Amino acid sequence: MSMLSIKDALNKAHHQLMEADETVIVIGEDIVGGAGTDSDSELGGVFGVTAGLAARFGKHRVIDTPISETAFVGMGIGAAATGLKPIIEVMFCDFMGVCFDQILNQAAKIRFLSGDQIKLPLVIRTTMGAGDSSGAMHSQSLHGLLASVAGLKVVCPSNAADAAGLLKSALLDPNPVVLLEHKGLYDYQSYVEPSLPAVPLGQGNLAREGKDITVVATSAMVSKTLKAADLLADALSVEVIDPRTISPLDTNLIIKSVNKTGRLLVVDEGAAFVGFADAVIATTTEQAFGSLRQAPRKLVPPHTPVPYAPNLERQWLPGTKYITETVRSMMSE
Amino acid sequence: MDESHYQIYRTACQIRAFEDAIARAADQGQVPGLAHLCTGAEILEATICTTLLDNDFVTGSHRSHGLAIGCGADTYTTAAEIFGKAAGLSGGFGGTQHLVAAKSGFLTSNGIVGAQVPLAAGAALTAKTLKNGGIGIGVFGDGAANQGAVLETMNLAVALDLPLLFILENNGIGQSTSAEYASGGTSLSKRAKAFGLRVETLQSSEVERTLKLIPKLINDIRSTGKPVFLEAFVPRLSGHYYGEQQDFGKDTSDPLSILEHLLEIDNSSLDGEREQLESTIRAEVARAVTAIAPSPNALAQWETNWRASS
Repeated sequence: MSMLSIKDALNKAHHQLMEADETVIVIGEDIVGGAGTDSDSELGGVFGVTAGLAARFGKHRVIDTPISETAFVGMGIGAAATGLKPIIEVMFCDFMGVCFDQILNQAAKIRFLSGDQIKLPLVIRTTMGAGDSSGAMHSQSLHGLLASVAGLKVVCPSNAADAAGLLKSALLDPNPVVLLEHKGLYDYQSYVEPSLPAVPLGQGNLAREGKDITVVATSAMVSKTLKAADLLADALSVEVIDPRTISPLDTNLIIKSVNKTGRLLVVDEGAAFVGFADAVIATTTEQAFGSLRQAPRKLVPPHTPVPYAPNLERQWLPGTKYITETVRSMMSE
Repeated sequence: MDESHYQIYRTACQIRAFEDAIARAADQGQVPGLAHLCTGAEILEATICTTLLDNDFVTGSHRSHGLAIGCGADTYTTAAEIFGKAAGLSGGFGGTQHLVAAKSGFLTSNGIVGAQVPLAAGAALTAKTLKNGGIGIGVFGDGAANQGAVLETMNLAVALDLPLLFILENNGIGQSTSAEYASGGTSLSKRAKAFGLRVETLQSSEVERTLKLIPKLINDIRSTGKPVFLEAFVPRLSGHYYGEQQDFGKDTSDPLSILEHLLEIDNSSLDGEREQLESTIRAEVARAVTAIAPSPNALAQWETNWRASS
């Protein structure tokens, strides 16, 4: 076991995938960097995830594109349908608004509409998350919106091992998978096995075992929730579930936990209305109503765009203190 | 005129007969939804399809029955898909606007105007990456020519040097709005030129030139690896969808008659062959009408498979 950041784990996984299979290609904006200039230096993507790939595998497999999301996402879908395994980088998930037809109507539906003639080994990597004053169009968390589209699989890794392992499984899957990487987690270090083994899609992770309350947390909220659980450990035993895959969701893991604890809190950076947290609460209420001792709750940002001012953005995001207070308040009800 | 031209004629007749049979089935209430027929574009589409090789992939618009059949999709199976039957190309999941015959090289048609064009760029990228000699062909109408997806793909194909053939079938009217009204600038092919694409145009009456130009363009793309844009004017003989009441946008000139004239079909043995083709296709389409509907469990099976697959 060694420590690795999410960024480095993803980078290493890209190298491994491209080395193992010549049909793996990477497509995106500035993923090499410097195209058409005199510079030989590689940017390797705005967050450095694709660094070193072009030098090693060539620019015919690591393709810088014009700023033209509809065209290059569509191209990636067509390539996946005809024999390649593309990993497409959409710089920020906010930009999916630009190319949403290709995601919503093309990638998500082609396997279904073809009656399974066509498999789509396609991964769309993108970033999510607030916290760095990038403003309302570079900070959203759209995993719930994407998960509501039948035909898309959606994953939100919270640590290095899961990021690399889920990327590997995603590229083997016959369905398009959107991998949302939290911008604030790229440098977050965690333990990995050096081979970065594949992590199956659709399997949640019991991040911390407990008996008093179940907290389902995603992406950057996982480490905040684990910290809250530590702070509460003297008084309470908090069970933390990291679903890892948003769709298809590992409902069984959550239901089993709620059947044990009788309490559910969902901590998520997504939408406050018709969001992922709502889906978890609805599913749990449908399937484990008899086990619930109180109404499930959610901790999500307010239903507004992400604010820019650092103090407002900090207030907008659910934090460890708020998680701790909410758990205490639920336990005293 | 050589043997390949007779083959194009046969394929064009097959497409015409298919669309006529679908229209009759629509009259009898057998087509769920609306059928957008490609009558008028058969010569163009048959010429494209008969020129293709393995590793080539075509994507088309919602008006793609002819391209699917021309690529080699079985007429019974294609008709069954249009009728929403289990025996259809996609088991009845896709329908008339979403035909897929991937093994025949027809990658997909599309319910979203213009969205099929970036997908064709993907097929071109696969061919380029695998160096398998294939090309992508994106077929779209004048309505799609104003869509960002199409314009972006023109730019991308030039920027990345993709072996891609853009085919703009200009029938002068997008659904019920004329291309002249909807387009800033009078020439759609001049736009393509501005992106740095090699551009050719074809009038619908230029049937003989169609037969020669399209194979040449496809060969040029194979040898240079560079994209080409073809604007082909075609008549829309049966309106936006079959049975619509509007009287605009219906042309009467028929390139198929011109080809018959060129091939001097009258009184030749091919005349009988066309009747034979038509009767076979009528029978295939009639058989598809009576095919069974998908099983009630089909959707549940799909959902389970989708979740489990990995």
